[in-house]
Amino acid sequence: MTAVTGEAPATGSGVLGQPLDSREDPQLLRGEATYVADIDLPGTAHMAILGSPVAHAKILSIETKAAEQLPGVLKVATAADFTDVMPLPCIWIPGGVESHFPPHPYGLPGARPVLTGDTVRHVGDPIAVVVAETPRQATAALAAIAVEYEPLPVVTRADEALADGAPQLHEAVPGNLNAYWTCGDKDRTDAAIAEAEVTVELDLVNQRTINSPIEPRGAVGDYDAATGEYTLYASTQGPHNHRFLLSALVLGIPFNKLRVIAPTVGGSFGTKGYLYPDMALVLLLSKALGRPVKWVDTRTGLMNSTVQGRDHRQHVTLAGTRDGRITAVRCTSYANLGAYPSTIGPGVATALMGRSISGMYDIDAAFCEVYAAFTNTVSLGAQRGSGRAEAAFLMERLVDRYAGEIGMDPAAVRRKNLVPKEKFPYDNGLGWTYDSGNYQLNFDKAIELSGYADMPARKAEARTRGKRLGVGLATYVAICGVGPSTRMSQEGMLGGTWESANIRVHPTGEVTVIVGSASTGQSHGTVFAQVAADELGIDPDTVQVLEGDTQKAPYGQGTYGSRSYSMAAPAVALTARKIKSKLIRAGAVFLGVPEDKVVYEGGRVFEEGNEQNTKTFAELAMSMWYGWGLPAEIEPALDETTHFDPPDFNYPFGTHVAVVEIDELTGETEVVSYTAVDDAGHIGNPKIVLGQIEGSITHGLGQALMEAAVYDEQGLLISSDLTTYALPRAADVPFFTLDKTVTPSPHNPLGAKGAGEIATVPPAAAVVNAVVDALSDLGVQHIDMPLTPEKVWRRLRGEAQ
Amino acid sequence: MNGRPEQFSARPNELLVERLRDGLGLTGTKVGCDTGQCGTCVVRLDGRSVKSCLVLTASAAGSEVATIEGETTRGGELSGLQEALRQEHGTQCGFCTPGMVMALGELVDSTAGGEAPTEPEIREWLTGNLCRCTGYHSVVRGVQRACAAARAEAPSGASEPAAVAASTAAGQEV
Ligand code: FES
Ligand code: FES
Repeated sequence: MTAVTGEAPATGSGVLGQPLDSREDPQLLRGEATYVADIDLPGTAHMAILGSPVAHAKILSIETKAAEQLPGVLKVATAADFTDVMPLPCIWIPGGVESHFPPHPYGLPGARPVLTGDTVRHVGDPIAVVVAETPRQATAALAAIAVEYEPLPVVTRADEALADGAPQLHEAVPGNLNAYWTCGDKDRTDAAIAEAEVTVELDLVNQRTINSPIEPRGAVGDYDAATGEYTLYASTQGPHNHRFLLSALVLGIPFNKLRVIAPTVGGSFGTKGYLYPDMALVLLLSKALGRPVKWVDTRTGLMNSTVQGRDHRQHVTLAGTRDGRITAVRCTSYANLGAYPSTIGPGVATALMGRSISGMYDIDAAFCEVYAAFTNTVSLGAQRGSGRAEAAFLMERLVDRYAGEIGMDPAAVRRKNLVPKEKFPYDNGLGWTYDSGNYQLNFDKAIELSGYADMPARKAEARTRGKRLGVGLATYVAICGVGPSTRMSQEGMLGGTWESANIRVHPTGEVTVIVGSASTGQSHGTVFAQVAADELGIDPDTVQVLEGDTQKAPYGQGTYGSRSYSMAAPAVALTARKIKSKLIRAGAVFLGVPEDKVVYEGGRVFEEGNEQNTKTFAELAMSMWYGWGLPAEIEPALDETTHFDPPDFNYPFGTHVAVVEIDELTGETEVVSYTAVDDAGHIGNPKIVLGQIEGSITHGLGQALMEAAVYDEQGLLISSDLTTYALPRAADVPFFTLDKTVTPSPHNPLGAKGAGEIATVPPAAAVVNAVVDALSDLGVQHIDMPLTPEKVWRRLRGEAQ
Repeated sequence: MNGRPEQFSARPNELLVERLRDGLGLTGTKVGCDTGQCGTCVVRLDGRSVKSCLVLTASAAGSEVATIEGETTRGGELSGLQEALRQEHGTQCGFCTPGMVMALGELVDSTAGGEAPTEPEIREWLTGNLCRCTGYHSVVRGVQRACAAARAEAPSGASEPAAVAASTAAGQEV
């Protein structure tokens, strides 16, 4: 483990922390970037997948002959063709959870087959594939595959799946219960609630949502018979992780026989870190056919196969004193895992959510229990802000209910309960130890910036226009920087969760930085160059950044949970420091002075007190490449690698304020202003983080106002395209008012905290709080998301939820 | 096609986006949905932005088609709109970007000589294009910047370029 101290960022060239333009943007703006769908290897054949049209059924027979005869068709395959392929595993089994599935090597549960042969469990469950000369031929041939189903009863809600007599999804999992998981202190919490002066309760539905990156997923498999090596091009957030999972755990081939390449990836937000059947299928079929095999999903296909998010039904309780001191919080949640445990879905639904429920508050007793159940829906996975958004939602709804109950201002209640600055590191009693924070400062800044004090006047003014104005607050702490490998193993995650970076200095003084992480739109090339350039005191334009190809890059888990800047960037910084310290040792030789007289500053070394005796970075690079005159203990060349495994997670936090206006006539909710003050520690590139914050808030507003994955009683996904699943459009959001506070994390050398998705965590709570505030005089205490105009209109007319 | 004649025979049910991507290798135009909702496939047909996944290739016969590839040469200098979007970091994963550039190009061009579009007008114009990364804020700022620059350059634009409305004073601070 690397010891780190949370120092301030180096200021070698001063480029870190600067809003440099993204070097990735010009290529993207010219439409020149290559996404999976744009890859065209010679001889490529095209794959299409037959997904189940029914949510739950036994497959009685599959007839593929007719499809095989169609023009252009090269192969039709079913589960019977892949009996020696291992199932796709689930690698995050939260502590204490029993695995019911037949194990993989390494004791993991085999979560789902690459193709389903006996029982289909959700609409879209892959049954067969066709490979043909063209995509159209492949798709057309799907219709000629005849499958006979014997329908089985369907269940799509977690609580209903756990009821007596519910349809059963997996023989190995009686009662559909994958996990009963708890954290916190139940007895203490129950006692605190029983003794409390005030208690409030809510029943919440955190509806299922679909991330919908604008690029659907895709994969190209290319098997080389001469070398026995496989290459997978995929829209992935973690090429190394996919290489590990696919080679060792699914295909049963040596790790070094699989190369995974992530080309430009068109957004992900959590969904493209998962292992999907298509990734294995294109490789297997490429080997079978001796040609590259390509598959590109459709939007409807994505909606019916790519992991979905959120989906908790919760009963939550908060206890406190009459004067606003929160004493306990308790949550019982029914989490819907979908039909199969996805790669890390069970961990998202339990640990990531449950350990976060107390948020920014100093609460004496807290307890969370999660019943994670299987249903006939698409598997559950991560979703921008996953777990943490669900946690913030329940806590922030409860705080508002509590404030209403005791007649205190919601801001005053929050302020009174924030974890005080002196209490860090703070053990939240649920399993997380918050690294650092100054919550009061952050909270006060948001209250001030939002003009919170003026709201009564604004409410009165809005009424004169037929609008009801409401204001909603939400605070949050988001666990980021996944993660410390040992700590993650205690959470039940398999795999090294560290990140690495390699830096090579070329003889001419240019630098190549290679990282294990892989961008899905976060301008890694720009930011990692800033980190290296800043440490080395050189021009960032001379620094090249490579990532996304397992054959070039050292191992890293990839981009998820807002971890690249607080996991991979520290690896870059520490590697640059190794280069620097080697240059100081070598500099002593080149300058002919003792090592303690060598100063490294501004991209050169010089003799202390005699700056004339100096060598620039470029001169040093060339000298190190020649290697002439170096003593035996200094190797020639500059090529260093660091594997960064931090001592613990990091915990960004923030305060958001939503102001909404509800149209009395139509029930339409308009977000009229939105203020966010987030704290992600030291930031590498504020321009890039600004973009991520703005996108994240918009995503969160989407859940609050319009997004919902809706299944009917037959388990059919009704919202299966972009006409039926609403995403926020440009006219749905105003410009936001944004600011930050800076509390460095002590757990990495950049003082960084996660940033990318953190601002998705509070908006849903802030908006629902604002709408409930606007309707509070009607006795409304809660409305389930999404807050569609119809729903709000009914409440305006006094109808019940 | 981007100023050059192209001759081919299209299949009866062939979509323009298929011809562009698979037939002509112009992969800058993206496919993001099956329903004409996302706008990643927007190209300009006789100067008007259209969703090329909703246009039959045959029906575009005789028309001028402009795709993102025609905006610049490979690696070439960015157009005014692209440059403004670059300065405002109006793209993240970039998948929605070519469609946005093609759709917004019409807006910027059409307003270059007259009134700059207001923020609500820009947002309204953008409703045919989905972006999941940026939340549109930087895109809207980019259009404001591009319009200001275009008006400053337009011969008839006597007025000073309107100041680019920042999303927030703190925009650069986050
Ligand atoms: S691909 Fe044409 S609108 Fe989505
Ligand atoms: S930049 Fe990713 S969808 Fe717009």
